[in-house]
Amino acid sequence: MSGFSETMGIAASGMQSQTERLRLLSENIANADTPGYRRKTASFEPYAANTMPEGSVQLGRVQLDQTDLTTIFDPSHPMAGPEGSYDGSNVDLVVEIADAREAQRSYEANLRVFDQVRQMSSALSDLLRR
Amino acid sequence: MDLRTTFATQAYDQARASTPISPDLGTQANDTGAGQVFQEAMQSLAATVQNGENIARASMTTGANPHALVTALAQTELAVETAVTIRDRVVEAYQEILRMPV
Repeated sequence: MSGFSETMGIAASGMQSQTERLRLLSENIANADTPGYRRKTASFEPYAANTMPEGSVQLGRVQLDQTDLTTIFDPSHPMAGPEGSYDGSNVDLVVEIADAREAQRSYEANLRVFDQVRQMSSALSDLLRR
Repeated sequence: MDLRTTFATQAYDQARASTPISPDLGTQANDTGAGQVFQEAMQSLAATVQNGENIARASMTTGANPHALVTALAQTELAVETAVTIRDRVVEAYQEILRMPV
């Protein structure tokens, strides 16, 4: 019984983390054209608090990607410097889309685990009912 | 024939007097009998259901984490299903005893 509910909790923490990851991705994609925007990343960490079962996962601190910003040449832009260019964001849409797809796949995997646990526990109850 | 049934009744009375009728259902202090086990199980069930209701209410009113809601509801469903199954088995066993030819 406790194994079932712990597995459910761990799978739910995985789904929660992937949701937060997708949230950061959506920020990055939305700000792809914002001048000076640095893409946000976060790492996955083991859950520290003891309110969740051991082995749960959570998202760590949000960090800014420190790679160089793209230089966009546009002399008519209000932020353009003396050489006629300004700093854009360092968001690469291809990377973000690939990351989003990865988050989706991982979410689905956690969802499958959740459903599997539910099916297993209800199969066990059915055995008792016969 | 009448005499024999009277004797049987007397013997039954004696047997009943010599053996304790009521089994100890957790009446002793450090007893882990069936009664206490059931009591703990029911308290655990009530806590699980209460937790599920609290999270459901929080999710409806303050928009709490939907994953926590799904987890709590699944755990509540599991607990209630188990409790209902065990109750059915207990009632079934009791009825089986009642059907015993006396």
